Amino acid sequence: MSAEQRLTWRRRLFAFVVASVGAAAATAISFAMTVYEAAHPKPVPIAAPGQPIDTGRWTITFRDARTGSLPPTGIKPSTPKKLVMVEFDLDNRSATTSNVFSRLFAIEPPIANLPPPAFYLARDKSVAGGLQPDMPERMIAVWEWPAAVPVPEQLRLKVATQIHKQRDNLYGAPGWFDRDPAAFVTLAVGTSP
Amino acid sequence: MSAFLKGLGGVVLAAAVLYGMQRTTPGYGDITSPRPVAGKLGHRLEGRAFAIDIAKVQLARTVITKGASRDSTFTTSGVWVVVEGTAEALNESLTLLSAEWLGPNGVRYAMSQRLSSLPGMLSGQRLEPGLPTPVLMAFEIPESQVVGGTLLIARSAWAPLAEQARIEMVGVKPVDIHSSLVVARAQGRVPWALSAQ
Repeated sequence: MSAEQRLTWRRRLFAFVVASVGAAAATAISFAMTVYEAAHPKPVPIAAPGQPIDTGRWTITFRDARTGSLPPTGIKPSTPKKLVMVEFDLDNRSATTSNVFSRLFAIEPPIANLPPPAFYLARDKSVAGGLQPDMPERMIAVWEWPAAVPVPEQLRLKVATQIHKQRDNLYGAPGWFDRDPAAFVTLAVGTSP
Repeated sequence: MSAFLKGLGGVVLAAAVLYGMQRTTPGYGDITSPRPVAGKLGHRLEGRAFAIDIAKVQLARTVITKGASRDSTFTTSGVWVVVEGTAEALNESLTLLSAEWLGPNGVRYAMSQRLSSLPGMLSGQRLEPGLPTPVLMAFEIPESQVVGGTLLIARSAWAPLAEQARIEMVGVKPVDIHSSLVVARAQGRVPWALSAQ
């Protein structure tokens, strides 16, 4: 092996070592940051009722919570039901009509065997369809509460956020994606007929 | 030195080209976006799968529907846009499920589901080839979005590369807002009757 060849081998080895150390350092730092962030989650802000909460896709303002047996339609169900209703103002901040209310907020901590709520439009007293952008509406979420579970005096809600991605990581298609919760809201549960 | 500069120049040029390509690559949404067919209010628009002719647009603050048992009043924080027209399938039977009002600010307002039970609504009309069928559409939009609106009509809101009729709503002005519009059922070819109040 000539001296020149030995030199190129040495240089190659040196480049390989530098690249390896760099990659290992990047991996270690990224992993450590992930672990640190998981161990120290950012505190979720507490929002008061009546305070508008920006969730990215929506602006939501909680008004009140109540329990009763009469749904917002005003028609008594044939079998008596225990209902828990949350009234809120909702503004669609996206560029298209949307009816994706289901993951807007959730009861925290989750209640076992609680079916997902139905969403009513207060203006029509009927089940809400899509909400038009930039046209805020008063809405009512109605849970059919399980008979075995007592209705709590206070309802703690976790409000989710979504961000719009022009290109998602799988298809490169635009879409809305869930992010960290925006806020916790605690509502006192009143009674209504 | 000059070889080093040459190499550096090459790297910079490659980075610039790659950045430009990354910025200008059409996304999945652009590649699969609907194929527009342009038209105007009052003129028959013929596409490949369907033809549509928007005849009349009326604006109102409230819509009152006359039902068999009771009347319902539908209020809005914006303005109701009630669109009447005729649609026809060209090759095979189809239903046009998607209609949107594209406002001048680029926001799309889908056909209101609050009035979807009215007779003759577009999404409930099955269109047959050779049989022009009267269709009704209702939109709920802010008043500022009335002027300069465009009607987007397609077989489905999601189908990639589907045909989309884009009808320019020329001459629709907020001056002509009725205080209320009564929609009643009617016998005959047109299954609804509109009267302004």
